[in-house]
Amino acid sequence: MTSSEIARIGAAGPVDRQEGHAGPVSYDQMDDHELLRLHVAGNPDTFGFLVKRHRDRMWAVAIRTLGEPEEAADALQEAFISAFRRADSFRGDAKVTTWLHRIVVNACLDRIRRRQVRAADPLPEDEDRAAELAGPSEDDPAEVRERRLDVLNALKQINSDQRSALVLVDMEGYSIEEAAAILGCAPGTVKSRCARGRARLLPLLRHWQTTRGGSEKSGVPEKAAAEVVGTE
Amino acid sequence: MTDPGLPTSEHLEHLDTDTIADLIENLLPAQEAHRAREHVKACPDCQLTYDALVQLSEDLAEEGREDIPMPADIAEHLDQVIVSESVLRASTVGVHSLVQIREEPHRHLPKILTAAAAVVVVAGIGVGVVIATKDQAADSAAGIGPSVLPSGVPSLTARDVGPDAQQWLESTNGPLLNGSATEQVCARNFASGRPNPQVRLVQPARVDGKRALLIGLQGGSPRDIQIFAVTGCDDPGGVANPFYDTTVTLRNR
Ligand SMILES: [Zn+2]
Repeated sequence: MTSSEIARIGAAGPVDRQEGHAGPVSYDQMDDHELLRLHVAGNPDTFGFLVKRHRDRMWAVAIRTLGEPEEAADALQEAFISAFRRADSFRGDAKVTTWLHRIVVNACLDRIRRRQVRAADPLPEDEDRAAELAGPSEDDPAEVRERRLDVLNALKQINSDQRSALVLVDMEGYSIEEAAAILGCAPGTVKSRCARGRARLLPLLRHWQTTRGGSEKSGVPEKAAAEVVGTE
Repeated sequence: MTDPGLPTSEHLEHLDTDTIADLIENLLPAQEAHRAREHVKACPDCQLTYDALVQLSEDLAEEGREDIPMPADIAEHLDQVIVSESVLRASTVGVHSLVQIREEPHRHLPKILTAAAAVVVVAGIGVGVVIATKDQAADSAAGIGPSVLPSGVPSLTARDVGPDAQQWLESTNGPLLNGSATEQVCARNFASGRPNPQVRLVQPARVDGKRALLIGLQGGSPRDIQIFAVTGCDDPGGVANPFYDTTVTLRNR
């Protein structure tokens, strides 16, 4: 056996070709499609990279839709396992994030339906957990964290049908028709849930809106917003 | 008494927020919509509510574009779940077929098999130890593959760090510590700053053409080894700088 043959033991790559390249290609540098393709082909690591890359996005969707971190964590776990197992059903012409997003949304809605069947009592408010939800304090400025928490808290206070519709349409940018298909109801129902949800949220987010609305187009003055609430 | 064509805030009741929200979504019947629209035009208070609702949608959209960092404990748990899922799949599919499926790494399977049959022991600076056990023979028969140990400074791609390290570790009964003394010290220093400082693998390699050191640390269970590919360990006093990591689960422990 020649020394070059020995050197190839344990080596896996086309070494000679690789070395001429501009730089190493690690998973970090691969796009979502490539990672998913390798996963389908049997690579044990690439799906984990996809999860790492998109988990904060998907967490945002889950925690807004479900409100409770435990529920959101369970839903995400279900969603990612489902995506792991049926990755071969992914059609390459779509965006991987769109596909993942849809699986996460469906997992969240499943949870809501199950929860409605159980008619569970709402969990007691846990201040520490709530603050933690805003994310690590070193990551974002205080006002970003505060706004995030305000929205999460307000969303928790409206009913789950209105919340799902608002998260899909207003926050995630789905069209009314797409949201209707996802939620399994008529477009008119989605519109109505969005409208009523906004009406419920308005007084809850008055503070949030006015503090950041100072320089914005409509510039709702604080006093007027307070009166609006009073008319209800 | 009031002229319905000219409603003013003085002599008509304000619209409630639901009605204004419905108006924005075009949900009101034509006549009611017309009246509501006229009222909003004439009534500064209801106009403000109208504007605030429109603004709310825009603000929600803006907030919706923001990610929310997943809490660390939940992220860690999720990682573990995905790793378990990978291990489950690998054990179901069988490692042989996985290797064959992975067309990318251009593995020459027959070549590896022939070479492995001829391999006796590893040279190298460190202390690679091979002990052929009955278990390994059984594993080979079961399709887990022949014992293969790294020699010198193997070249591999990042995606093969996990599978190759796993194969090496499964081929030895103890830690596999190769590389120079400097690299050993660097690996130990790196390990000492981690929750589980037990070093199971030190192996110089070229990863995607880059000179690196592979460091394997004991994971949460005796079968789990976390493999890091690091740079910065070549020079005395160097500090390991990981650029890739993965966790492997040994099947013969
Ligand atoms: Zn009015």
